[in-house]
Amino acid sequence: MKFIFIALLTLSLWIPRTLVAAVGCTLSSPAEDLKYLYPEMTSFKEQLFNFETLKEGKLLFEKAKERIGSDLDPVYETFETPYTLYQVFSGEKLLGLVHGVNVPGQGGVIQVFLSLDPTTGAIQNFFFQRLQSPVASELKKKEFRDQFKGVTLGDFYAHDFYKSKSKPDPKDSLAKIHSPSTSETGTKDFEASVRGIRKNLVLIDQFFFGNKFEPFYLRAQQSLKQAK
Amino acid sequence: MVEPLCALAQSDNLEDPFLDLRETSSSSVSTNSPLPLATTDLFGENFTFKRELLAQTSLYGTAQSSSPHLNEGNRWYTKESIGGEVQKKFSTTTRTVGALDIQGRFVRRDNFFAVTNDSEGMDREGWFFEYHNLYLDLYDIANPLLSEDLKGSATGHFNLRVGRYYLPFGLNLQSDTHGTLLQLSNERNFGYERDWYAGLFGSVNRSVNYDLYYMLGSGYEPSPRFGGGMIGSRLSLSNSVKNDIGLEGGVSALQGKRRSSPMLYESEYDLIDTKRVGADLRYNHLFLDGTLTESTELSQGSDDGTSVLTQLYQVDYLHRSRAWGSAAQYRSFAGERVATHGRGNSDTSIIGELTWFIRNDIESTNLHWIKLGIERQLEQMVGSRGTITTLQYYRYW
Repeated sequence: MKFIFIALLTLSLWIPRTLVAAVGCTLSSPAEDLKYLYPEMTSFKEQLFNFETLKEGKLLFEKAKERIGSDLDPVYETFETPYTLYQVFSGEKLLGLVHGVNVPGQGGVIQVFLSLDPTTGAIQNFFFQRLQSPVASELKKKEFRDQFKGVTLGDFYAHDFYKSKSKPDPKDSLAKIHSPSTSETGTKDFEASVRGIRKNLVLIDQFFFGNKFEPFYLRAQQSLKQAK
Repeated sequence: MVEPLCALAQSDNLEDPFLDLRETSSSSVSTNSPLPLATTDLFGENFTFKRELLAQTSLYGTAQSSSPHLNEGNRWYTKESIGGEVQKKFSTTTRTVGALDIQGRFVRRDNFFAVTNDSEGMDREGWFFEYHNLYLDLYDIANPLLSEDLKGSATGHFNLRVGRYYLPFGLNLQSDTHGTLLQLSNERNFGYERDWYAGLFGSVNRSVNYDLYYMLGSGYEPSPRFGGGMIGSRLSLSNSVKNDIGLEGGVSALQGKRRSSPMLYESEYDLIDTKRVGADLRYNHLFLDGTLTESTELSQGSDDGTSVLTQLYQVDYLHRSRAWGSAAQYRSFAGERVATHGRGNSDTSIIGELTWFIRNDIESTNLHWIKLGIERQLEQMVGSRGTITTLQYYRYW
């Protein structure tokens, strides 16, 4: 028995760096949480992702950073941070995707989870798994979270262009969503949460959709350049 | 400044640049095709490998002049280890069916004496290979007996664990004690914090989890023929409750025969008739510019019919930057059987700890720290009271 352990450990210490991964950003109680989100669920599958282990991971990480649109936090959002994508099934049919990310907030971690329509990429549900914030109760309110239903990553990219215009554009679905708290801390945690949603969508677009919304990003960048 | 503003004003009149993209993006993608970035090989798909390095040194200084267990005066103990942990999840096309966890270390000890995070090293002077976690989880084992309709509602309720892992008693099962100096009660309560076992775990509902295991009661070595065996059970609040209101906790019960432990001043290769019930709570909340966590573990029971009472209270503070933290713990283990022959009524200590985190990943997947801990022994059932100062370097990545 001891020989097997020693052999396994020795072997594992020689495993190339490219195989290194870690479990992270998981649902607290996956089975119960996913049943709550999808009552018709019969099974679910977990898939781990880590930029460290992905082919051209550094390039993908840089691309993700550009599309998130802001610097990444050196503690909460590192190159080594692992991600877990949940695929929820009813029989053989894929019902939805669930994925979470961490972003830094004023009180500590904000853990933003999304459930998505696997065919359109639209948000079905948005919830906080961990929210260390003085305004947690306001951000957790259903009325606030429900405003993100139906939003896609394309809407976020388009918002980058719309917000540069002098007048609000009625097609800008994100411009209608405001912070539920007027305090400085509340506004900052609202902004961190929205950034978390965007980051989450960017990663799911890479991990699952194969960059389905990339044309929106390119169009937004192009339109912003033309506007200048 | 004028020129860009004019340009922006002109752009307001442009058509929606995303109109055609909205029409095409509403078309669906195939949900049956493989994920674009996923791999399917054994060491690629859902495979995790972590490395671990530890080096620590402890200084024991006696408060009294002599001890039957320790040399007089000050004493240095050092420990170095290198190890790793492998985790692998197994899935079909629609279901994750199981997980394997193997953790082991090559450990070097010199001048051993028992410290809170290393009480098993008495017979392991020099280099020694230690296994820690070694278990296989199989999820939803009742599925073959259930109809398709029932499979969904039963998901998460009946999972099987076989192997070596934390005792289902107290906060241990839901705590990450990778390398930490401060430990919970089990090692001192039963002589070890892990055992070999097989049993069920899962959710009762969204707020409550259960664990129910048969354990060999043998601690480190898997020795089914030594004649022991224990049943352990636990009901605990789920992580959903922890995330919602910052509260963890549970009640545990454990009964059976376990192998004796020198840690509890018990003679070697004895069978101890063990009974325990326990309750525990941990509360995490914002405090000043960080988070404060208060924990307690209480248990009562008997060893071979003589009463045992254990108490542990701990406060942890972690700064919002996650760059530094501090903790304090009070622990007391009173055993009637030893106390009647020993000096004091209990082993009681108070411990303070300061940590500088070089890396402190939010999910504990990448840890790197230097810790300083000071334990003041307030009462000892056997031997003299002392002060143990420990400096530790730890990396897990």
